[in-house]
Amino acid sequence: MIRFDYKKPASIEACLDLLNYYQGKAKLFAGGTDLMVEFRAEDEKLKDIEVVIDISCIAELKFIESAGEYIRIGSCTTFAEISENPILRKYAPFFCEAGKSVGSPQIRNTGTIGGSIGTASPASDPAPPLVAMDSSLTILSSEGKRDVLLSEFIEGAYRTNIRPNELIVSIHFKKLNPEAGFSFVKLGRRKALAIARMNVAVYVETDKNGIVIDVRIVPGSCMPVTKRITEAEHMFLGQIPDYELHEAIGKKVSETMVGVTGKRWSTPYKEPVIASLVKRALNQATGIKENG
Amino acid sequence: MDKIKITMIVNKQSVEAEIEPYARLLDVLRDDFGFTGVKEGCSIGECGACTVLMNGKKVNSCMVLAAQADGCEIVTIEGIEGPDGKLHPIQEAFVEAGAVQCGFCTPGMVISSYKLLSENQDPSEDDIKEAISGNLCRCTGYKQIVDAVKLAAEKMKK
Repeated sequence: MIRFDYKKPASIEACLDLLNYYQGKAKLFAGGTDLMVEFRAEDEKLKDIEVVIDISCIAELKFIESAGEYIRIGSCTTFAEISENPILRKYAPFFCEAGKSVGSPQIRNTGTIGGSIGTASPASDPAPPLVAMDSSLTILSSEGKRDVLLSEFIEGAYRTNIRPNELIVSIHFKKLNPEAGFSFVKLGRRKALAIARMNVAVYVETDKNGIVIDVRIVPGSCMPVTKRITEAEHMFLGQIPDYELHEAIGKKVSETMVGVTGKRWSTPYKEPVIASLVKRALNQATGIKENG
Repeated sequence: MDKIKITMIVNKQSVEAEIEPYARLLDVLRDDFGFTGVKEGCSIGECGACTVLMNGKKVNSCMVLAAQADGCEIVTIEGIEGPDGKLHPIQEAFVEAGAVQCGFCTPGMVISSYKLLSENQDPSEDDIKEAISGNLCRCTGYKQIVDAVKLAAEKMKK
């Protein structure tokens, strides 16, 4: 176990003061579900940590609020709170599904959305729906505030552009149309506790003639940075949902993935599987039955 | 590194300890207070053998710093008992349904079942499976555990 001192600030302001004082020698601790594993494994990247700042009890970081067109979620909101929240269930149900697929009930009671984003695991479950909603983070430091798109905040696997004196305060996104189609599909080794092998979040909105007017397709766990696959989304805009079209869009997503990652040892597996997951998610979101 | 003084209520008893700031709740419960019914299995939040209730919520005590639990109310397997001070109906049901084999997962399984049945007196099979989805058992194949929770629900209705 890595050894450290422990601080428990009661407010955001007190937390920012501590971050300013300790700079890179402090580690923010929200739910702890990633960090406790790393502390125990004496992870090399934590060797200079002198103090852990426990933010899990800062009330100002625990909220889910609806404000006009937007929903804002405090960074220390747990996955259990996210998966059961009525506002999110209405306007972002695929985010609730993703939250519900994180870890186990025990993990969801402590693991937080801000912690998950800060860890920036490429196999994150909440990242695909959050990226699909073009979510932005609000980040504070004693120098001021900045807003940044989630897709720009995460720079690579386990890499973000957070600075040592900064705290993720909240994440916000525009409400989606509750009448539209949502889907979150995850492939893991087993149902509970599985780290995603691959996952996909999909949003499909159609007009009264059934023509697609808004679409978001975000595969997860298959590229270093989770992002919308605009090439595939363009294939769908202006079209009518259809099984064969969904199949073709799935293939487009997997081509894009291979374009980013190159051919790897896992490509012969991932290429058809991600295509199939995207097709399944689109079928689910648009109410088209799967064959067989 | 200075030690931290914490106070918790464990199984309805107020307890105090001076702990290392990096100590896990699991270690403090076992080593400082002797609640060795809380088991250390995987140590990485997957197996659920160390499950306890913290302020009424199920957590893996290997994933919680003891310092975080300052001022909290904790329930371990030692705090689960029937009205007569003997076995709780859930524990009786585990024995009767053959849900205890090696017994290592049992404390965590009982805590998860206790939490479920305190919120849902009539759980479906899916509710039971969801409730114990964060607890691994390598002996029973889970069927006897699911049967035990159903049996416990019956017993607790009486």
